[in-house]
Amino acid sequence: MRRATSFIMLLLILMSLSCQQADKRTDEIRYVVLSPEIAEILAALGLEDRIVGLTDECTYPPSLLKIPKVGAFGAIKTENVIAIKPSLIFSSGLEQEGISKDLERLGYQVVSVYPKSVAEIYEGIKRVGAITGTDKEAEALVQSMQNEIDALRQSNAGKSIPKVYLEIYRDPIMSVADNSFVGELIEIAGGNNVFDTLERDYSRVKAEDVISAKPDIMICYSQDSLQNIRSRKGWQDIPAIRDSMIFFEDSINPDLIQRAGPRIVEGLRKLSHIYDIYRDSIR
Amino acid sequence: MSRSGKALAILILPIALGIFALYLLWGNPDPNILWQVRVPRLCLTVITGMSLAAIGSVYQLMLANPLAEPYILGISSGSAFGSILMAALGLIVLMPLGGFIGAILTMLLVWRLAQKNGMFDRSRLIIAGVIVGMFFSSGISLIMYLNREDTALIMSTLMGNLGRIFSYREWHIFLGLSVLNISILIWLYLKSRALDIMSASDHYAASVGIDVHRLRKQVFVLSSVLIGIVVSYAGIIGFVGLITPHIVRMMIPGTQKKIFPACLILGALFLTLADFMAKSMTVMELPVGVVTAAIGCPFFMWLLLRRQP
Repeated sequence: MRRATSFIMLLLILMSLSCQQADKRTDEIRYVVLSPEIAEILAALGLEDRIVGLTDECTYPPSLLKIPKVGAFGAIKTENVIAIKPSLIFSSGLEQEGISKDLERLGYQVVSVYPKSVAEIYEGIKRVGAITGTDKEAEALVQSMQNEIDALRQSNAGKSIPKVYLEIYRDPIMSVADNSFVGELIEIAGGNNVFDTLERDYSRVKAEDVISAKPDIMICYSQDSLQNIRSRKGWQDIPAIRDSMIFFEDSINPDLIQRAGPRIVEGLRKLSHIYDIYRDSIR
Repeated sequence: MSRSGKALAILILPIALGIFALYLLWGNPDPNILWQVRVPRLCLTVITGMSLAAIGSVYQLMLANPLAEPYILGISSGSAFGSILMAALGLIVLMPLGGFIGAILTMLLVWRLAQKNGMFDRSRLIIAGVIVGMFFSSGISLIMYLNREDTALIMSTLMGNLGRIFSYREWHIFLGLSVLNISILIWLYLKSRALDIMSASDHYAASVGIDVHRLRKQVFVLSSVLIGIVVSYAGIIGFVGLITPHIVRMMIPGTQKKIFPACLILGALFLTLADFMAKSMTVMELPVGVVTAAIGCPFFMWLLLRRQP
């Protein structure tokens, strides 16, 4: 009996110690960033040196590559996060909702930023600015992004609006809806995304709907080759395929339009450039 | 032929034409879509439905097991594994080839495991099939876990996808394989009587001059080829192969010679209807395997209840 009591006592002491450990925070500012988008925002705000841990997907700017990794976006290694003793953790949505809650339960301060539209990127940047004490820089970044996007919109005014089909997956083919983040960018850049509404932002689509929509431009992120796309049964009448208006990752890096971060400005310029190529071709 | 059987035979032609017309013409597609997208998809659907139901009826008879279906011998899992492995390696165009090789290798393995002292053993075959199937299923899970970006493709292989986009060359290969497919179905039909006799007992079958061991091996090899083709192009579509033969036997009691062709027709029509619902009746295209089970199960329950005295 006495032995059991002392064992339980020991267990309780160990447990209280382990709680203390998690609660113990150093004054040093140490960020662990689980999302590539927030990593880009932090870097743009000049806070790179505060980042002590990242996920495998956080590849931009390239200087981030030398920072230790705590796992992949959808497979965070909790022990690695704890080991670097972060003072603040930035996480995203989707698969990371679960891990965010777990880390909060362990006593860490977790900030979740998951922008789903351009307006939410601005909000996200300002929020990150407020949390990190860089409000001014954040405000300036948002302002410059807004100015650039406004200028782009103005330069596109009056131009024809090409129909754009973006393929993100092959077998089954998947595309994006207007209200998805990428869909919004396609339209801001002066194009018309062919799938106005889909059941999900990123959703399976039917080949016959793509054929009926007659897109002028196809952006292919589905790893399919030009030759294969051209030989798809029934696709030859699609203007984009007939006139070789098919663009791949080498024309526009997917990260520029799929990551909700400061680089969307560059992505929008690239999209706009692609639309200009199309407009020149029909002239 | 029973009265309901006769009525069914008369009714089946207009019903079939109706279902095909609905499938092809729904939403008034332009001729390009009709001929280049819908007709190929219908061909794939019909071939798949026929093959699954046919193999189901043959296996149920040959293995004397009402739960036997095309996937019970693990060949579908092996085939799906081969096809998914190709996709994970980035060779999406070679998926059918991977599926085919997977089916053949699995078959050889299962067949080897089913032999006991050089003799074929029915229950050993089923156990071997289930174990090998589980092994490849775990392989698929592993690939899915390691390759998150391919989840959509793997899911569509596991839940059935008849919406494959063919290239012209792939389409010609598929047509060639369809000819092979139909030839095997005809061969299976011609063996109906022998299979019926064999289902009674091996000794009896041997006494009337059937080479039991050889026939069984042939059926097994050729049905694996069928499954390989079907899974490579359409993924795993459950339910059709299990339930169609039962429904046919309830409606048209008779010998395999009568049941087999009825299975072909019903399997094709059932899958066409299910795929139509999967792609046209819902806002988002559903995996066809979900629909076959969703409409097939209640129908089968109704049949069972109706039959009660």
